[in-house]
Amino acid sequence: MLLLRAMAWISMHLGRRVGRAVLHLSAGYFLLFAPASRRASRDYLRRALGRPPRWRDLYRHFFTFAATIHDRVYLVNRRFDLFDFEVHGGDILRRLLAGGKGLFLIGAHLGSFEVIRAIGRKDTDLRVAMIMREDNARKINAMLAAINPEAVQDIIGLGHVDSMLKVRERLDAGGLVGMLADRTSDNGALHPVQVLGAHAHLPKGPFRMAALLQRPVVFMTGLYLGGNRYAIHFDPLADFSTVKRDQRDAALTAAMNRYAALLDQYCRKAPYNWFNFFDFWQPAPATTPSTS
Amino acid sequence: MQNIQKPAVSSDANLQREVAELMIECLNLEITAEQMNPDAPLYGEGLGLDSIDVLEVALVVSKRYGLQLRADSAENQHIFNSLRSLADHIAAQRTC
Repeated sequence: MLLLRAMAWISMHLGRRVGRAVLHLSAGYFLLFAPASRRASRDYLRRALGRPPRWRDLYRHFFTFAATIHDRVYLVNRRFDLFDFEVHGGDILRRLLAGGKGLFLIGAHLGSFEVIRAIGRKDTDLRVAMIMREDNARKINAMLAAINPEAVQDIIGLGHVDSMLKVRERLDAGGLVGMLADRTSDNGALHPVQVLGAHAHLPKGPFRMAALLQRPVVFMTGLYLGGNRYAIHFDPLADFSTVKRDQRDAALTAAMNRYAALLDQYCRKAPYNWFNFFDFWQPAPATTPSTS
Repeated sequence: MQNIQKPAVSSDANLQREVAELMIECLNLEITAEQMNPDAPLYGEGLGLDSIDVLEVALVVSKRYGLQLRADSAENQHIFNSLRSLADHIAAQRTC
């Protein structure tokens, strides 16, 4: 946490340019000394670029990751003036929110989810409560508190009945609930999909929750385009508002396939924004529970 | 949790069975109501439900029996501890 605080201080006081010089060092460090991440990056880039990646591609991949993490410091401190954001599909979000029943905003470890704060600067009611595992929630809030104590996010930790009721209350009040749905956490049920032409498994949990609570789901990603530019995309993903129980499984499958197709689409569009530095395409564990 | 008061009304075996059947139906569990141990934890080791399964049970049960479940209630953890505690809560709070 001390290191993070020091980095945040450098970034805020010496400017984004000096901060980014440090990032080149860290991208270089990972490239040289993190062989597992490097392997994952190479494997992913081969699929996304459709050709064997060069060292330059790997470096750019690590640097993009470091840059988005670094930019969080500014986003959390509300320095939106430093960036150039293109927003695509913001009207979709507003139209669905006008329904007053809230919605789920589902993202991935693809680009920066933090840029949602930049959208929120225009609509002050656009606060997103993030759902995540309890241990992650604690880490993230400790990090945010180190950067800017006022920026501590509304986080709903998974794992209790209570957390689910909180999610429902948030939605009932017309709010947004965010989740990253591309990583499997505990031993939850998995759904097989195709991403970049190969089989992968995605957790069913996030979509099951949206289906149970019968809400619209919007996909969101904040793609880093280089320099100070981000492209924020909102895409309609599913609407479970009127899905009854007997149609739920079919709607769930359709939604997850659509999610996989969106991942595929944006990985090809902005290949260096994929931040799963592990073997995403590994086969499902043999002990997948049968609950649906 | 010693400090949480037990509901004044205890559920009977019929209600427990009814709730068990409701759970089995909504979660497609591969057991029968008789096989369900009323005191086994719903989460994790006992029945092996995850938090979204429990959410589903909460939604179905609150609709069927007209219960109001609120977030930030210290009781929630106790209510969803086991089939028996859930049925006890329903017996005490049901409105239909």
